Amino acid sequence: MTEAANPDIRSRQVSNMHVSINDAVLIEQYRNGDSAAMERLVLKYQNRIYNVILKICADPDDAAELTQETFVKIIENLDKFEGRSGFYTWTFRIAVNLTLNYCQRNSKLAFRSLDAEHEQQDDSQVKQVLKDFLSDDSSPDPAAEVQNKELYKIVARTLMGLDEAHRAVIVLRDIEGMSYARIAEVLDIELGTVRSRLSRARSKMRDILEAILR
Amino acid sequence: MKENPDIDTNASNERIDELLNGYIDDELTVEQQAEVERLIDQDAKTAQRLRQLQKCQILVGSMPYAEAPASVLEGVKASLAGRSLPGEEQPAYEQQVGKKYVLLRKVLAAAAMIALAAVLSAVIHRIVPLQNAPEGPIAVENRTAESIRSAARVVAASGFSGRLELKTSALNAVDAFIKSAIDDIGMSASIKSERRQGRRIYSLSCTREGLNALLADLDNIWTELDSAMLFVNTETFGTQTVVDAVTTKQIAEIANQVIPERRIELAKDFAVLNNIAENLPDKEIRAAIEAEGSSLTQQWRILKPVLTSSQKTVKKPADQVQEKQTIHLTIILDW
Repeated sequence: MTEAANPDIRSRQVSNMHVSINDAVLIEQYRNGDSAAMERLVLKYQNRIYNVILKICADPDDAAELTQETFVKIIENLDKFEGRSGFYTWTFRIAVNLTLNYCQRNSKLAFRSLDAEHEQQDDSQVKQVLKDFLSDDSSPDPAAEVQNKELYKIVARTLMGLDEAHRAVIVLRDIEGMSYARIAEVLDIELGTVRSRLSRARSKMRDILEAILR
Repeated sequence: MKENPDIDTNASNERIDELLNGYIDDELTVEQQAEVERLIDQDAKTAQRLRQLQKCQILVGSMPYAEAPASVLEGVKASLAGRSLPGEEQPAYEQQVGKKYVLLRKVLAAAAMIALAAVLSAVIHRIVPLQNAPEGPIAVENRTAESIRSAARVVAASGFSGRLELKTSALNAVDAFIKSAIDDIGMSASIKSERRQGRRIYSLSCTREGLNALLADLDNIWTELDSAMLFVNTETFGTQTVVDAVTTKQIAEIANQVIPERRIELAKDFAVLNNIAENLPDKEIRAAIEAEGSSLTQQWRILKPVLTSSQKTVKKPADQVQEKQTIHLTIILDW
């Protein structure tokens, strides 16, 4: 599916274009001592940052803590922000770096948690729905299928089966709706690396999903 | 040396996968898109692979959107508590941005103030409702000092109340956006919505944080509006201060004022600024006024003909002011 066909992604991207001017104003206000401007920046981005972090680290408490840490770091370094990469990109760069560092520090815990989840019996009916969706070429409404909570759990578990680098690139692309160029800026990697990493990540996701459903 | 066919096949598959993913994400050149379309037309396996990858993308993209807990903002504030704001470190700031920039700001501010003074007398009557205000100084001699302090305490604790009138030719689109924004920030429960005589009316009762979040979203459609007028209720029943061509930033700043007098002062300041900005011949000065924003209004006060020195505002210490003010705002969306 292209970006244009995904209204969520499209609206978020349109929103990105609009926010840049306002961000500059808010940053300037904060630099001039207006603490309310800082509040507005946090309120503006906290949900998106939290959502991305949660999808990468999979723990709501840790995601909340990392979101908070992200904003503290942003505010502490706001004077050093030169505007070369755009506030949105800079914010996500800090958030993703903090989250990936956290994941690496806690990788053993994460794997243990993942293994424990694997031991749980998945709902066979949900598995069948997912199998049908993956095999049926003309699935009517995939978004509606994923409304099923159990189905979402399987997708989340599949995502956690990827290593952090692959997970991050998929989350930034498919959940936050970033362009390849923006992902390259956020992760500080080459555009070609984004292409190959995303391709491998989706391919691996497909393999993991099939393994779960087998 | 013989080439390994497995390696060749893998490399080829990886390249095709990259192309297919680029196709899904609309990240290919026209030539590459044509190549992919030729491949999927000719090869059923490639077409199937494309569908598989698309479904992976759909599954991930359809995952529920999680909202940050309310504790995040409080946590950030707590982490930063006690630290000075950047603006408080004036010498360092000036060094950082450079003297030229500071000088430019001062020149622009001075130019704006001259322009303001020139038209002040013409517009002052539009922002102070003289028919409701007594002429000359207000007599406060009969009040005891304690009664003034007590009145000020009541005033300081009251929240923002007002009405926002938005006019747009894209009523349905803007209405849909506002509804979506309300849902997005989880304020559906605290906002009543009704349609009356072709107009959409939203009645909000929320916290400052809630209003700020809503305004941040509304900012995205502000350019779609034909007009935006804010009516700020004053302490005198039935009297309002009107801010024409109001921006979301201005609404937030007004509503975020804890002291009602300050709130009204700020609304009047913005009313004058917006009026002047609309009439200024020089767009550069107008832009400068907008860029200066609140800092300009903080330095400069409009003369208020009905107030006298005997009516000094009794300011309450910040820590005694109610932290979570209640905002009562009616948004009227009209053609």
